[in-house]
Amino acid sequence: MPILDFLLPKNGKKQKVILLGSGALSIGQAGEFDYSGSQAVKALEEENIEVIIINPNIASVQTNIGNNRKVYLYPITPFWVEKIIKIEKPIAIISSFGGQTSLNCVIKLEKNGLLKKHNVKVLGTQVDSLEISEDRKLFAKKMKLINAPIAKSHAVSNVEKALETADKIGYPVITRSAFALGGLGSGLANTPIELRKLTQAALLSSPQILIEKSLHGWKEIEYEVMRDGKGNTITICNMENFDPMGIHTGDSIVIAPCQTINNVENNMLRDMAIKISQSMNIVGECNVQYALNPKDYEFYIIEINARLSRSSALASKATGYPIAYIAAKIVIGFNLLELKNPITGTTSAFYEPSLDYVTLKFPRWDLNKFIGVSKNLGTQMKSVGEVMAIGRNFCEVLQKAIRMVNENEDGITVNIFKNTSDEELEKELLLPTNLRIFAIYEVFKRGKNIEYVYEKTRIDYWFLSHILYIANLEKKLKKNLQGILNKCEYKCKQISVQTIYNKIPKKFLQELKARGFSDFQLTKIYLSVYLKNNIKLSIKEIRELSFGIRNLRKEYNILPVVKQIDTTSSEYPTKSNYLYLTYDGIHNDIIIKKNKDSIITLGSGSYRIGSSLEFDWCSVMTSGYFKNKKNDSVIINCNPETVSTDYNASDRLYFEELSFERVLDIIDIETPKGIIACMGGQNPNNLIQPLSEVNVNILGHSCESVANAEDREKFSAMLDKLKIDQPEWTSATSIKDVKKFIEKTGFPVLIRPSFVLSGTLMNIANDQESLNYYLSLTKDVSIDFPIVISKFILDAKEIECDGVAKNGEVIISLVSEHIENAGVHSGDATMVFPAQKIYTHTVNVIKDIVRKIIKELNLNGPFNIQFIAKDNDIKVIECNARASRSFPFISKISGINLAELSCKVMNAEKVKKILLDESEILFVGVKASMFSFQRLDGADPIVGVEMSSTGEVGCLGFKFNHAMLLAMEATHIIKPTKGILLSTGREKEKVKFMEVINNIYKFNIPIYATKGTAEYLKAKGYKVNVVHWNRYPRAIDVIVNGNVDFVININKNLSVNELYNNSKIRKLAVKCGCSVLTNLEKVIAYLKAYDSYEELKNIKKCISL
Amino acid sequence: MINREYKKAYLELSNGIKLEGIAIGSKVSVSGELVFNTGMLGYSEAMTDPSYLGQILVFSFCIIGNYGIPIPKDGNFFMSKGHESSSIKTQGIIVSDIFDGCYHHDGGISLEKWMKKQSVPGIAGIDTRYLVQLIREKKDLFGKIIYDDYLIQDKTRFEFLKNFKDNDYIEPSKYNLMPSISTKEKILLGNVGFKKKVAIVDCGAKWNIIRMLIERNCQVELLPWNTDFTKIKCDGWIISNGPGDPRNTGDLVNRIKNDILCFDKPVLGICLGHQLLALASGFNTKRLDHGHRSHNQPVFSLPEKKAYMSSQNHRYAVEKRSIKNDWNLWFENANDKSVEGLKHKTKPFMSVQFHPEASSGPNDTAWIMDKFVKLL
Repeated sequence: MPILDFLLPKNGKKQKVILLGSGALSIGQAGEFDYSGSQAVKALEEENIEVIIINPNIASVQTNIGNNRKVYLYPITPFWVEKIIKIEKPIAIISSFGGQTSLNCVIKLEKNGLLKKHNVKVLGTQVDSLEISEDRKLFAKKMKLINAPIAKSHAVSNVEKALETADKIGYPVITRSAFALGGLGSGLANTPIELRKLTQAALLSSPQILIEKSLHGWKEIEYEVMRDGKGNTITICNMENFDPMGIHTGDSIVIAPCQTINNVENNMLRDMAIKISQSMNIVGECNVQYALNPKDYEFYIIEINARLSRSSALASKATGYPIAYIAAKIVIGFNLLELKNPITGTTSAFYEPSLDYVTLKFPRWDLNKFIGVSKNLGTQMKSVGEVMAIGRNFCEVLQKAIRMVNENEDGITVNIFKNTSDEELEKELLLPTNLRIFAIYEVFKRGKNIEYVYEKTRIDYWFLSHILYIANLEKKLKKNLQGILNKCEYKCKQISVQTIYNKIPKKFLQELKARGFSDFQLTKIYLSVYLKNNIKLSIKEIRELSFGIRNLRKEYNILPVVKQIDTTSSEYPTKSNYLYLTYDGIHNDIIIKKNKDSIITLGSGSYRIGSSLEFDWCSVMTSGYFKNKKNDSVIINCNPETVSTDYNASDRLYFEELSFERVLDIIDIETPKGIIACMGGQNPNNLIQPLSEVNVNILGHSCESVANAEDREKFSAMLDKLKIDQPEWTSATSIKDVKKFIEKTGFPVLIRPSFVLSGTLMNIANDQESLNYYLSLTKDVSIDFPIVISKFILDAKEIECDGVAKNGEVIISLVSEHIENAGVHSGDATMVFPAQKIYTHTVNVIKDIVRKIIKELNLNGPFNIQFIAKDNDIKVIECNARASRSFPFISKISGINLAELSCKVMNAEKVKKILLDESEILFVGVKASMFSFQRLDGADPIVGVEMSSTGEVGCLGFKFNHAMLLAMEATHIIKPTKGILLSTGREKEKVKFMEVINNIYKFNIPIYATKGTAEYLKAKGYKVNVVHWNRYPRAIDVIVNGNVDFVININKNLSVNELYNNSKIRKLAVKCGCSVLTNLEKVIAYLKAYDSYEELKNIKKCISL
Repeated sequence: MINREYKKAYLELSNGIKLEGIAIGSKVSVSGELVFNTGMLGYSEAMTDPSYLGQILVFSFCIIGNYGIPIPKDGNFFMSKGHESSSIKTQGIIVSDIFDGCYHHDGGISLEKWMKKQSVPGIAGIDTRYLVQLIREKKDLFGKIIYDDYLIQDKTRFEFLKNFKDNDYIEPSKYNLMPSISTKEKILLGNVGFKKKVAIVDCGAKWNIIRMLIERNCQVELLPWNTDFTKIKCDGWIISNGPGDPRNTGDLVNRIKNDILCFDKPVLGICLGHQLLALASGFNTKRLDHGHRSHNQPVFSLPEKKAYMSSQNHRYAVEKRSIKNDWNLWFENANDKSVEGLKHKTKPFMSVQFHPEASSGPNDTAWIMDKFVKLL
């Protein structure tokens, strides 16, 4: 048997193995670990192993229930893992599929002797090797032993030593901290002053940091290595960063396979990767990162990850080789030769994929969502998601990727920097932000040469040549179009886009399409020539015009072809169903039989703030449902960090743009029975309207229903008609309108501008001053740029109802509540289900409103309706006619899979009304949000109406208090042990806070408070240390010196000044690794929960799904 | 991505299909056997690999030419990596996208310029994935690169081409290619001070075989294929890789049998050399349905029970059931189980179907050279 002896069933009983997940998604550790964990679970279950999954990430696919698995939604900490070990008595534990979180946890468990104590073996790479990979000093020693070059690195533990070292090796230097995920605490220092700042901050979260020679401008290259217990080793893929060293890989554009290195360099680095994996005794997967000198064959090893990583997920999607699945088989004892390559089904898994296409990863940043964050990219990762484009040439994948990552952009020609000065552009090249690629394009358009850009950016000539090539194509096209227009007489200027493009040589149009120009983009380029850059058409209008190009292409037979990803470059015939489309080819790899049964599910695209794992979960459920129903289940998605893009998540996967044009192309190829667009979040939902207009059969809600729910005016009118209450609102087209509205309703108001120059989209204005400030951020209020302004209700509860409807009848509706009062975005709020604090009567009223709305909208599928309740008034805020963020949470706790139920409805199956009384649910679930402020330099860690969390967890308890404590711990709000810094807001909040003041003192640690709060507490007889803004003892000192590890900082109000004052404390606290809470209701709920702390700690039984 | 005006060229296939593309390289028409390679890098090594003689090479990877062609600063092509012989050996190349610049620190000239200099044509803009499938499905596929409707083929580059007429499809394995590819005279390479000397029977030897021997302190004597082997003084023999059908090599098999194998000096056969050694030992060879031409061929070492990634380029293989008692199967292909290596039970004879010298491709089996040198 290939499988390790001790994993074989004993006395007819399956062996148990613990698999640790990665917890909540955060910057640097995202959905890729759901992909790797899910593949691992599958690989283990196939071998008759019972998998015990510990992961509080309730929206993940791996935490779905299954026959051969048990799911524990608990924090991934040694304490909880040990508890579950005691309960389950597993034989082994796997660390390498849950990112840094699970790796660190296993290292700690081993170091504390807990694994030995409970007789739990570590599968895969052993802990001593893991430690070497994590501890820079040990790693350096190990590499020296095998003559592997690493950049001279010096461990220091204080600032002075750091400065001394840097003097020795010479500036610029980079710093990095040991035991950090995603490059936290690292940075580039050009001067001693910069270094001092960097090290001070880094040393707060890590006892040891490293100073290294800067390899700024070198090529950054990665290898993914797979090695089995017998020592058979392969490299799956290499990848190269478009952005050279200096920008974190997570923030770099990455191309796979490498494009600018030659065979000698490739094999030099590949040999070294294999040598390292051997010396580290890797069993499973690892990745090795290099810096390669662009001027000669010199290279350094940057780091290795002895586990699955974001890169391995990308490599897996880029090559088609199921890395995590094979790695999981290896850690349980298989060798590579005993395994088949699942993509071909015939060839050996001991095989290095050959690609006949290129892939390009493009990061998604949502920096606009964070107040005050620096947009510059550096060695700390800031992106929240990514996409991958597949094509047959670099121009094609670059333009595809740009469209995938931001659906509103139309390719590299988007003209972001049209009005920017040359000086500003040069600055953008030198100090890159997330928009650098567009600056490069603009610079080329202005006639600068490759040398100029290379000097500023150090981006390889090969990449730059291609960008210049696109710029030249655009120039040539414009010249062509201008020529055609010049020949036109006045009257023919009314002619359609189709007629104009008809005069462009067919070959040229083919070339443009092959280089990644979309029809929409070509239309816009035409309009920019025709209207002299004065485009005032809406997206909808341009899209309609672009249909002319589509028609022309069909006439010309310029159509995209379907190609397979098969790992062998077609050397062997395969039945691979992993597909992409390209214009750079003439032959379809597969012919799809005209099939009346295929159902296309539109995935969610890139992860972003507001659309994350939960929508991938919904997509996977949907695709899986139709796969099981023997429909041809087809998925379109472009996010490599997902389970939905796994090779067996659907019958056919199109790794493609979720754009109107591309979805239509696929519909032309598939001629499906229907399209499902309401399960992947807002992104695919936006396609319902345009697709319906061209008569695509959208399953579920009708286009009209969706429009009626989404259009504010219509929805509001409908509520009025149904006599359902809603907050007052207006759409203001002038400042006069705004004034009039405020005269009527008073402050505070919620404003939502339709066009924003910088900063965030939505804000609550408490007074005239704040209102003026927020309005100043937007364009002038006008007919073209109206703002929506509504009454903001203070101290109101927020309630949500998720459910499924069929033909206007509610099949099921489930009510949950927020801990935070209204004013915190529902994506950031802490959610409780079943609701604990609302009356049955209120629930009944809400369910009645839901019925009315569903009826009136005639919904037919998943929905989510949000309410606010104050006293007994219930007002409707909004209705989403699609699956919502809370679907997995509600489904897993209620035991009713809302996604599957939605599929049944959309498939026009018979479904019965489900009458579930929430009060019958035995557990309480708390869904809490994970914030990544620690990574976002300068971002104010405050929660507000604009969503800023990057992930979430959902934990279960027999009591609310248990679930609350667990959920907080899982989102890294940790029980304080050093000290607490309080700042509790206005008088009203101070009074409220007294509810839990005794729990604060029960921690028995020093309490610090800012002046007002301290005086208030002293007057009530509490002992407290006063700290000040500017006088000693200062608030910032107790944070920096580590006197406190928990900061409660509640705003007095939401005025601009107040936010600014407190933000310094909050930012610093986050940077120093303190737990920070800023919302009063959340603080109170959390501190109250400590009443049950001891009980939870001593609990004998953990709840499993 | 070609930054200039370009002209059309056609690829006419022996199965009747005609594909249109963009003419690259030299403006001539040629014909040859169509083969593909799925390696993603190493186009200069492949194009200079003598085993591709008479063939039109299709690169399955979609962008070729990215790092240009290395031109050594000291003019010593032999010792600079990137070249496996002194000139391009393929008849022509077919690519999807070509990069026409050259910016790599080791590159001296663009791929296109190099092809022009060496009178080698090619076509870009072809759906190479489709073409690979055509080659895979059709056991033998031949083609013509037709530039400007000009049907007169350029047949000046190699001797055997003269056997064909202008409208013929060139089928290289029909002829003995040794006279066209083997060195005309003996060449002594490496340091005179080296204690060991290896004689290489040059059937189209890749330069990296020689480089590796020199790196391992061996003197190398490169021999014309028709040398009288009995007159050669050496410590061991390498029968090199090369093009064509192993049975179509004149009297070479016999002379290997009689003049090399009857002495007990160490012998290493590589690729074609492996097939020749097998034939000389009385085994059979066969033409595979489709060849192995890639950098990712998994070979399994039976004695070690361990697998290696190997670089391969062959159409013929040794028939497994013909292997006789005094030889052991050493390596087999983990995918199709074909013979990848043989080892004599008692004598220091061994041979491998793959390329331990790699170039291009993975170096994982370079240890075979160490093993051979140790035997000397």
